[in-house]
Amino acid sequence: MTTDNPFRAGLETERTPEPSVFVIFGASGDLAKRKLFPALYNLAVSRLLPPGTSIVGFATSERSDEVFRQMMREAVAKFSRTKPIDEAVWDDFASRLHYLAGKFEDPANFIRLREKLEDLDRTNGTRGNRLYYLAIPPSAFAVVNDNLSGAGLVAPADDRTRSTRIIVEKPFGTDLASGDALNAELHRVFHERQIFRIDHYLGKETVQNIVALRFGNAIFEPIWNRNHVDHMQITVAEDIGVEGRGKFYEEAGAMRDIVQNHLLQLLMVIAMEPPVAFTADEVRDEKVKVLRALKPIRGEAIDRATVRAQYAPGNFAGKPVPGYRQEANVSPTSTVETFVGMRIEIDNWRFAGVPIYVRAGKRLTKRMTEISVHFKHVPHGLLAQGGPVEPDVLAIRIQPDEGIGLRFVAKVPGPSMTLRPVTMDFRYGSTFGGSGPEAYERLILDAMLGDPTLFARSDEVSAAWQFITPILDRWAGSGTRDLPTYPAGTWGPPEAVDLVERDGRAWRRL
Amino acid sequence: MRLSLDAVEREIDRLWEEEARRTQAPRIELLTLVALVSEPGLLARTTRVVADVVRVHPSRTVVVDWKTGGEAAITADAALHAAGPGGAPCGDAIAVEAVGGAREWLPQNIDRLILSDLPVCLWWVGDLPDFDNLFDRAVLSADLVVVNSGEMDLRDIEKLSTIAGRSRGRYAIADLTWIRLRPLQELVARFFDDQGTHPCLQSVERVTIEFSPRPGETDVASTQAGLLFGWMANALSLKPDDVYWRRGPTWGEATIGNVVARFEHRPRPDVPPGAILRVGIECRGRVSARFEIERQEDPQVFRWSRDVPGAPTPPQTLRVVDPGESTLLIRCLGRPKRDPLLEASLAMTTRIVRPVAPRLSIQPRKG
Repeated sequence: MTTDNPFRAGLETERTPEPSVFVIFGASGDLAKRKLFPALYNLAVSRLLPPGTSIVGFATSERSDEVFRQMMREAVAKFSRTKPIDEAVWDDFASRLHYLAGKFEDPANFIRLREKLEDLDRTNGTRGNRLYYLAIPPSAFAVVNDNLSGAGLVAPADDRTRSTRIIVEKPFGTDLASGDALNAELHRVFHERQIFRIDHYLGKETVQNIVALRFGNAIFEPIWNRNHVDHMQITVAEDIGVEGRGKFYEEAGAMRDIVQNHLLQLLMVIAMEPPVAFTADEVRDEKVKVLRALKPIRGEAIDRATVRAQYAPGNFAGKPVPGYRQEANVSPTSTVETFVGMRIEIDNWRFAGVPIYVRAGKRLTKRMTEISVHFKHVPHGLLAQGGPVEPDVLAIRIQPDEGIGLRFVAKVPGPSMTLRPVTMDFRYGSTFGGSGPEAYERLILDAMLGDPTLFARSDEVSAAWQFITPILDRWAGSGTRDLPTYPAGTWGPPEAVDLVERDGRAWRRL
Repeated sequence: MRLSLDAVEREIDRLWEEEARRTQAPRIELLTLVALVSEPGLLARTTRVVADVVRVHPSRTVVVDWKTGGEAAITADAALHAAGPGGAPCGDAIAVEAVGGAREWLPQNIDRLILSDLPVCLWWVGDLPDFDNLFDRAVLSADLVVVNSGEMDLRDIEKLSTIAGRSRGRYAIADLTWIRLRPLQELVARFFDDQGTHPCLQSVERVTIEFSPRPGETDVASTQAGLLFGWMANALSLKPDDVYWRRGPTWGEATIGNVVARFEHRPRPDVPPGAILRVGIECRGRVSARFEIERQEDPQVFRWSRDVPGAPTPPQTLRVVDPGESTLLIRCLGRPKRDPLLEASLAMTTRIVRPVAPRLSIQPRKG
């Protein structure tokens, strides 16, 4: 990262990444085609790729650079947020794309990789800077790690002349033991400072805006605690099914796929204490404290505080859709959950006694990710007429229709003191217009800059698994027992409604 | 139907109530954008631009023009901006017209149309007069004053610098031409992002800026070219105490210390007048190197290249879309803050070009 260029002083882009070679392992896979190459291309369109930056795709199938470029062109044409392809930019971008075929298990391929990278250093001035992206299953991490290290392709973290960084995709393990084992595997070769665990939720503008809302305004922080907040709700709802990813989902389920990472990330951002500074370690220190403060859910308490369920046949948008067990590559006797509901508590000074209801699932009524903060009732029913006054709610919508809404009561015009809830809405789209960069663009750029603020740290991942694993273990032990179903296209099983109504509350209507 | 100014707020409220029943649209307004249209011929363009801007920055817009002669009076039209045809409203559209001597009354009457407790952006559309009581009084209510130096002569840079200096922090100055320069500044800055190129900064000998002149251009440089070099001169810590100029019919060269800045006319009809076509930097002495950004046949495509011993870098092809006036204004309003870099560049450019573009005490020419 360069900061001492006098021409940068005062410009919007005060920090720029050093040119580096970006190596994508699993370059012909779905993630690379759908997300990584479109993101890199859009960085080029936005003139944010530094000169000399090169991209090497590494995968097992034999193909030439030219064929690889053509494949990626088709992927970018299909999945890029900017369309159509800008020919001038594409030609320049394509000239930076290279391909290397080989099995990850063969150390000789990594010697070839090293030669290729050294060649690029000589012609493009990348000076040994490397950014590796593991778009491969975790089971392949160890061999790639070993071979990168064996081929001398990993610079020490304190090397000031060149940088080596690695971006890792979730899943970061499947439970506490495997998550810790994966961390240990990565740490065998890379220092934590060099590891960037990507959770694309953190790259979303709206998630970053939660930090702005909480710590950029003076009016929210004083009421952001148990004295004023009655409870919070977090919903991560998808209206689609497993969409051909049955094999993956059979090993994951909603808890591992959504709750352990995206949903807990939202929880951390909404509940963390103000960091001393907006720097990577300060922010992540505060986030991990939230996870450590989560009240453990153990034993029979799991049955009361959690709900798991699976979608059954139903309908979506007026058309019949299959149940989970009827999906391709899913066992007809599968016990994998496609819905999770939980009642979580944070045992700390700020939020002690404030329940946080969370739900995540597939084939729900609509696609919607939202956090809502429900404030307490007014202390005295001065204006109550035939029932308590509706409490205020601050709703932060992550997707779609990103924005923030504040619900409060107002007097209905007329002779009587009749109150009615009204909302004040802030919508990103109508206020700022246009669309910002995709989460992957922001996160890849941050990784190139070496800024890990929006990436998960190993202790975060471990603490998340520590909270989740006992629940997964109990569910695994109970088999199909207590596995309710819900018709596709609904908001989940009745048990999820009970989870909240038992406390005299209700899910927010979304 | 022309309204009297005291009927405007009532009419706006009525329109919002009507819209609330129709579209349930929330009333969101982030600022008041006052556009003072200096020439009648610019009114239609201004109206189009503010309609584009409010789709991104929901605002109250007050477009003000004036006519000479006739009985002194100010009237207004009130309507709502729509996000698109038949779309939800996204701001108040007020058009104010002053006739005859009523131009003098405009500042206080604009004040009464400003939304409470929200920033006020004053956009002066067209060339800026040297002395104008209306402008001087109107800026007092503004948080941000937007001008377009691209519509001015090189000597007017000094005027802008003076206005910026006079604000004493009460309002910020923004220049649409300066916003247009940002991508080029990024590309120039990119030359020196690598540590390996930093020694070159000490041995810069020549900077060449080629630009497309306006028809009948008499200035040695366009304001865009002048501002770009002013910015570069600050970054290079040049001392403009003694500037020596040489000039020919289509070029001018300024010697500032050890650096020669050359401005060259290169007419090109497919780019806006004043647009920059090429920036070249040559370094000699201890380190010999060349840096170049050149506009290609496609006027929105630039080739970036550098030739620095020991720092091999392949050239880059980049698209720099020339933003329209609406986009420039949208970007301005996105960061309605003081821009010390602009102020420093205005001051530096003023000192460099003063010998060839002295400030006049008469009304500058229009167009």
